[in-house]
Amino acid sequence: MAAHTSLKSIATALAVTMFAALPASAETKGPVTDENGVVVVPAGEPLQIGSFLSLTGADAALGIDARRGVEIALEKISGTYKGHPVEIVYEDETCSPEGGQTAATRLASNPELVAVLGPSCSGAGRAGVPILWQHKVPVVGVGPTSPTLTAPTRGPTFDGFVRVSFNDNATGKFAADYAFKTLGAKTAATLHDGSVYGEQVVRTFEAAFKAAGGEIVASEAVGAADTDLRPVLTRIGTKKPALLFAPLYVSTGAYLVRQMGEIASLKDTELLATDPILAPAFLTAAGKAAIGVKVVGIDFRPETLGPAYQTFVETYKTKFGEPPISSFHAYGYDALGLLLAAVDKAAVEKDGTLYIGKKALNDALHATAGYDGLTGKLSCSALGDCASPVYAVWEFTSEQPDSYALGTNPKRVDK
Amino acid sequence: MTPGASPAAGGSGEIPDRPAAGGREHGAGEAGAGIGVGIGAALADWRRRSTWVDMVMLALRVSLLVLVSAGLLLSLAHNEYSAGDWLSFAVFGLTLGSIYALISLGYTMVYGVLRMINFAHGDVFMAGAFGALIVADPLIATGSLLAVLLLIAVGAATSAAIAALVERVAYRPFRHRGTLAPLICAIGVSFVLQYTARGLFGTGSRAYDDIPLLDGVVTLGPLQVPLVQIFVILAALLAMGALHLLVQHTRLGASMRAVAEDRETAALMGINADRVVTLTFLIGGVMAGTAGVLYALVFKQIHAFMGFAIGIKGFAAAVLGGIGNIPGAMVGGFVLGLAESFGPAALLSGFGIPAPYQLKDAIAYGLLVIILIFRPQGIFGERLAVKRM
Repeated sequence: MAAHTSLKSIATALAVTMFAALPASAETKGPVTDENGVVVVPAGEPLQIGSFLSLTGADAALGIDARRGVEIALEKISGTYKGHPVEIVYEDETCSPEGGQTAATRLASNPELVAVLGPSCSGAGRAGVPILWQHKVPVVGVGPTSPTLTAPTRGPTFDGFVRVSFNDNATGKFAADYAFKTLGAKTAATLHDGSVYGEQVVRTFEAAFKAAGGEIVASEAVGAADTDLRPVLTRIGTKKPALLFAPLYVSTGAYLVRQMGEIASLKDTELLATDPILAPAFLTAAGKAAIGVKVVGIDFRPETLGPAYQTFVETYKTKFGEPPISSFHAYGYDALGLLLAAVDKAAVEKDGTLYIGKKALNDALHATAGYDGLTGKLSCSALGDCASPVYAVWEFTSEQPDSYALGTNPKRVDK
Repeated sequence: MTPGASPAAGGSGEIPDRPAAGGREHGAGEAGAGIGVGIGAALADWRRRSTWVDMVMLALRVSLLVLVSAGLLLSLAHNEYSAGDWLSFAVFGLTLGSIYALISLGYTMVYGVLRMINFAHGDVFMAGAFGALIVADPLIATGSLLAVLLLIAVGAATSAAIAALVERVAYRPFRHRGTLAPLICAIGVSFVLQYTARGLFGTGSRAYDDIPLLDGVVTLGPLQVPLVQIFVILAALLAMGALHLLVQHTRLGASMRAVAEDRETAALMGINADRVVTLTFLIGGVMAGTAGVLYALVFKQIHAFMGFAIGIKGFAAAVLGGIGNIPGAMVGGFVLGLAESFGPAALLSGFGIPAPYQLKDAIAYGLLVIILIFRPQGIFGERLAVKRM
């Protein structure tokens, strides 16, 4: 009997798996037929949008900052879309692949979701986006920058992904050019934490640095949870690099800058980090060691992004009682705006009910052209890159978290 | 708990399951018949007596030895590191090992008296670091060594209080039930402590203010050692020395050893076993809290979830040294710290493996596996076959 039950369970599981693997059949609801299915939002019912962001842990600033951007965008439309209250369902992706997988699975179980905003981190996106697309839920990335997410080789499981955050192919090249041409570094070492983000940006940096004529003398990695980086820094020190390029998140980045000062052989080595550490949380973790650290990131100064951004920052300060805590707030704002613009194109309204074809929505997202966002004009490529980033190099001038403000702490140093 | 070589540990620690290879019947004759014949006979005898499992284990041992030796020789031949670099690795390993050793004492002491793994111990360590954080800024502002010692005392007291409370509230009710309940309870307590700290101190990383007193560097020949690392190593050694004295030379220590040896007999002889168990948790907490503050001093970053990974390392150190054995836990901690520090450079760089430091934990836990293969009871542990409860 038990064996019979077991065989039956296996047969059922196989049938479910095979069914899930089949292409979804077209669905007709109301006036809309869509091959990926249709989300119906009855009159007066909420338009549900999912979100998975890094909301806890050492990198919580990334997600909280983006969430605040989403909330300001929501406030701008008075929390409604064509008479439907807009409801954001938040999940925490903890800036990790496991967190991304869990959060995406929870979101995917809700058939009423129109789309998802997020994630903050590439590793979470790598694990979570395919789960959501399996349910034909499009995703608008608000922070992941790994080139793999929009690479031609990314595979069909990422067909439902666009991002308003930038692509690190550009970050690595900008950092390499700055290191080689402006800082005059002829040798460089790299250090990443094994994350999808870190490894990819290191690879693009290394390729660009070598192409510029530089030499990569060490290419090292640590674990994301490592706290003692001194042995690996000692190893890097034996190569005497002019520059260490280290795209790390807040916690590991803080360990790095604190411990780098203890390695005598690295005293003449310049450190170049990347934007995940552009946050007051980094100053709390790194203390005085943060002063002088150079960081490649987007130029988010109001004077660069224009008056709309200036107004946004003022609203942010008023609403949350502090200036932006990371560099992801504008992505959150733009992601919601860009999504609703695509819903405008894809949705059909009949008697107050919205019918949104999932494929139509995804096509509309990918067809975005010239969307006027806070971060510039957004136009999405067929592979989902929508951003037009303007990079800058920043340098921390104080270890006080409450002094954090792009332009003063950190100040711009590449011009 | 066996502080030092306990009588039950059987001196050398292991009684062979069967007569040694070769046996006595060959002993006298072998000298006359020649060494070659003796070895051949011994091998034949070993093959006759061995199962396929013995042969696989032997092959595994030989392979590991060859691999480790080859890695070591290749790395040394590569001559990548100076003497100063190797000494630096040693100091890094001792610093980290000091912290592992202090944490592992809590695991080993609790296991010694209760035969239970307290999986919340890593979070007791975290609680000590956060307890001291509350008073860190005003104390550090005074700039005195006494303030630093007070900081450690506050961390130790916080962890001790939490450990004793956890024992009383969460473990004691399940002690005599002989189920998995205490283990599950330990995991639950771990989450409670983590999320309490998260609620109280937030999710981000926190740090003590810089301590100018410990900011300097000591130059020892080719080696420049940050003062804070020397302080951490010395403080940890001092704490471990004090514990050794307490266990070996006080009435409380004798009671702890008696309860560890046989709780029921100890109770019959008038020892209050419950009190001893509580004190054991308390002392383990003191060690964990001390480790928490030392960790914060040397790595300068603490967060609510840091106890899990470091707690696992402390547990591994206790197993490495021989769980239940106090000197073993201390040695295990240092061995684990040194393995993490030296391992990638000494064993992997010679093979040309890119980014060997990403495999640091694999080396540390690989070492644990290797030691347990060669010596299942750990470095100083008891024979596993002896049942004492």
